[in-house]
Amino acid sequence: MNTMSDPILDIRGLTVTFGGGPKPVRALDGVDLALGRGEVIALLGESGSGKSVTLRSILRLHPPKRSRIEGSIKVEGIDVTSLEGRALESFRGKTVSMVFQEPMLAMDPVYTVGQQITEAVRNHEKISAADARARALEMLTLVRIPSPERRLAAYPHEMSGGMRQRAMIALALASKPHILLADEPTTALDATVQVQILLLLRELQRELGLSMIFVTHDISVAVEVADRIAVMYAGRIVETGTVRDVIRTPRHPYTIGLLSTRAHGGRLEGHRLPAIPGSPPDLANLPPGCAFAPRCAIAADACRASVPEPVDLGGGHRVRCFRTAETVNKVAALAPAVTS
Amino acid sequence: MVQAVAPAMIDDATIERSPGYWSTVWRRFRRDPVAMIALGVIVLLILIAILAPYIAPHDPFRGATLRRLRPPGTPGYLLGTDELGRDMLSRLIYGARLSLFMGVTPVFLALFIGSAIGVTAGYVGGIVNTLLMRTIDIIFAFPSVLLAIALSGAMGAGIVNGLISLTIVFIPPIARIAESVTTSVRSLDYVEAARASGAGALSIVRKHVLGNVLGPIFVYAMSLIAVSMILASGLSFLGLGVRPPEPEWGLMLNTLRTALYTQPMLCALPGIMIFITSISFNLLTDGLRSAMDIKA
Amino acid sequence: MASDTVMTRAPAAAQATGSEPVRPLLEAADLVKHFPIKSGLLGRSNAVVRAVDGVTFSLYPGETLGIVGESGCGKSTTARVLMNLIKPDSGNVLLNGRAPGTPELSLKAFRSQVQMVFQDSYASLNPRLTVEDSIAYGPTVHGVSGTDAVRRARRLLDRVGLDPRRFAGRYPHELSGGQRQRVNIARALALEPKVIILDEAVSALDKSVEAQVLNLLLDLKEEIGLTYIFISHDLEVVRFIANRVMVMYLGRVAEIGPTDALYTGGRHPYTTALLGSMLSMDPDERTMEAPLAGDPPNPIDPPSGCRFHTRCSFAESVCSAKTPALTVSGTGHFTACHMVDPGSGHSKAAA
Repeated sequence: MNTMSDPILDIRGLTVTFGGGPKPVRALDGVDLALGRGEVIALLGESGSGKSVTLRSILRLHPPKRSRIEGSIKVEGIDVTSLEGRALESFRGKTVSMVFQEPMLAMDPVYTVGQQITEAVRNHEKISAADARARALEMLTLVRIPSPERRLAAYPHEMSGGMRQRAMIALALASKPHILLADEPTTALDATVQVQILLLLRELQRELGLSMIFVTHDISVAVEVADRIAVMYAGRIVETGTVRDVIRTPRHPYTIGLLSTRAHGGRLEGHRLPAIPGSPPDLANLPPGCAFAPRCAIAADACRASVPEPVDLGGGHRVRCFRTAETVNKVAALAPAVTS
Repeated sequence: MVQAVAPAMIDDATIERSPGYWSTVWRRFRRDPVAMIALGVIVLLILIAILAPYIAPHDPFRGATLRRLRPPGTPGYLLGTDELGRDMLSRLIYGARLSLFMGVTPVFLALFIGSAIGVTAGYVGGIVNTLLMRTIDIIFAFPSVLLAIALSGAMGAGIVNGLISLTIVFIPPIARIAESVTTSVRSLDYVEAARASGAGALSIVRKHVLGNVLGPIFVYAMSLIAVSMILASGLSFLGLGVRPPEPEWGLMLNTLRTALYTQPMLCALPGIMIFITSISFNLLTDGLRSAMDIKA
Repeated sequence: MASDTVMTRAPAAAQATGSEPVRPLLEAADLVKHFPIKSGLLGRSNAVVRAVDGVTFSLYPGETLGIVGESGCGKSTTARVLMNLIKPDSGNVLLNGRAPGTPELSLKAFRSQVQMVFQDSYASLNPRLTVEDSIAYGPTVHGVSGTDAVRRARRLLDRVGLDPRRFAGRYPHELSGGQRQRVNIARALALEPKVIILDEAVSALDKSVEAQVLNLLLDLKEEIGLTYIFISHDLEVVRFIANRVMVMYLGRVAEIGPTDALYTGGRHPYTTALLGSMLSMDPDERTMEAPLAGDPPNPIDPPSGCRFHTRCSFAESVCSAKTPALTVSGTGHFTACHMVDPGSGHSKAAA
């Protein structure tokens, strides 16, 4: 996947501030992200980390009156932030399209699945109703929905959760987008269904050569689908690298903490989970330095004074941390102390 | 994480108290300029009603056939005189008393009775709910204006009868809202948790249901005050409700209509007062509603 | 079997499976709860959701029983029936051998001994009450004076890791999800219960906070001697916290047994599939094939016989004809599968 010289999506210095409340909330702060052609990046983070905000910014889904967006988002060389009217409409869905966490909310309950896909196709292409219908059928077959002809006439509420998510994916892919954004598409699903959807997305991505950004809070999901992982914390990307680098040799204390905090395997009597102390920060009151410093075991004065710039560790592995010298091969030693 | 603090220290510790729910709502409300202006207008109207005898320049009942239907701006009669030569300004000032009374009282009576019915139906559920709510639906099926006219007409003109009929008109919508809010609150986890702690129905309703239900019902009731004023005015206009020579805006609108073509400005004055009052209550309601949504 | 594993489990669970029977603390006997689906003008019900359909199990003092399963398997309904928040259509719940709502055990007394923590930390706290008032409410219902209840609330706040001086006077919306869930745990502890039912209590929390709350639950359990029912869809978390695990499928128990035995040698094909759906966390060992196809069937019209037969690769005619009973399949390990029952007639059943 060494197509970084010509990324299909290039985000530089993206900063998003939401007004409206008592205090402006800086949801994103200087996010740089480049997505190569045919590449899958997982944006990994907890609630409030900015992963969904990043995704929505790409589609310009934020209300313009209440949000201020700085930086640039280039998709296939076109600056998304300057798109207006028709150009923006054809960009959404045709170039970049999105799969949501809750298909029940993202789909219109009063139209059948077939009608929704047909409409999506005809919004972007001048084709006959019969052709659009044929495309809808083709899409449902593509996402492996059993007896697709019958499902065309089904309403979203008549389908099971897994089928609905498949239909949502069919709808998102109907206009043959180049980039697919997936916002926690398997979080609301049962374990046995989650695996099916993850496999489906992985297969479709390969078959269609899609470039994909996959937002999730679950590391194991990221490992299943992604080529690279970008870990977000408090509106910044704190660590990026290949899945192997991030999982096996994490260098940011937050990533190290997240990985060691997972309950894995059985428990020895009296054993506790290593937990990151404290709570995620309040985006309206971020500390001046590294946002993770208050919860970090190895934070130094420098960490509290200024925000660390990305440090390149080679092979595209970049970490925003002043203390990377302390995090080499010290995964176990640096795992947070047991707290309750 | 767990600090070894001696229990005694905690018991006597000064607890950092967050501002209560209503003070948070008030703080948010104060930041809404439109709602604050509406509140100011309403307070002003109430003050005018209370202080009417002191601020009215003339006796609102004494007229003179010689100076009938003078236009606004007549020297000595700032807003002119009505069809019997009574000072319009004084009558509008005194009119605030009855008009506000007729607007507010039925709503508060209905708020009391309607929420009692609605909360009972919503919390108890089952057959009680069905019986209460279907009865309410029957009353609700009549258009409110028609119902108010029919009830007042049947009971005869007069302030008390007007109040009663308006109260009856407002009970069903309030009971409906109370029932639906209670039903949704009842199924929330914190009510389940209260049940799980062994609490009885009355205790749960008092501590956990009412506090969370009365707010939305109150907001809705506030929006009815404007309707109530207009309906009360309508009743007076039709000769039900308030009777002449009492000054009341709706009644004034009625008696002045004969002068519609000769003194249109004069005729519009009571209507303008009704409009200002009702829109103020509506804006106040809007502001209150958004201020109460403290999670937003 | 995995009984010789190095991991030691809580003594109670071991005893429960040993020769000397330990008296169960809480028993569920053949619980059935169907929800009618109202339809038509007169609210006639012509279909029922078979949420819980014959669930029997025992909870032993000092253990943590995990309940896992997918949506519609009835785990949350089971919890609410256990709590007596909804009445079962048939079957009963016994605490120390006594049924709640009888002269020997009033419902109120039962509820002071069995408490519950819900998934939604915000919805389970009254938004108009301060944190300490929410915690103190339960004790006042049981006759504790106002000041004593508040004192107890503050001590509990301290115990769950929230400084009462900072948190006692706060409102739920001013706290983070993890802090609110600590408050909910304190509220559940306020009545000094013996059993706490945790219904997806950590599922809505961020991973970094989830670990803190799990550790707190373990600490509390050891200190106070609590018994937990831990309901979750997260198989990793259940494996970490539970001594025994019960797998439910469409309102019935598929398998129940010691955690290690179940996770390393689950006998029900559904257990195997569910565990096979756990993701590996290893980029070189990605899942290549989904263990099951399709979604769990609708509990409104569940399949006949073994409810799993529509998705089971071992299904034979006996599976759709006959409902399998829970059969012993190891030490303290029971499986409801015809392949485990020697006389079932399934070709794979051990003779």
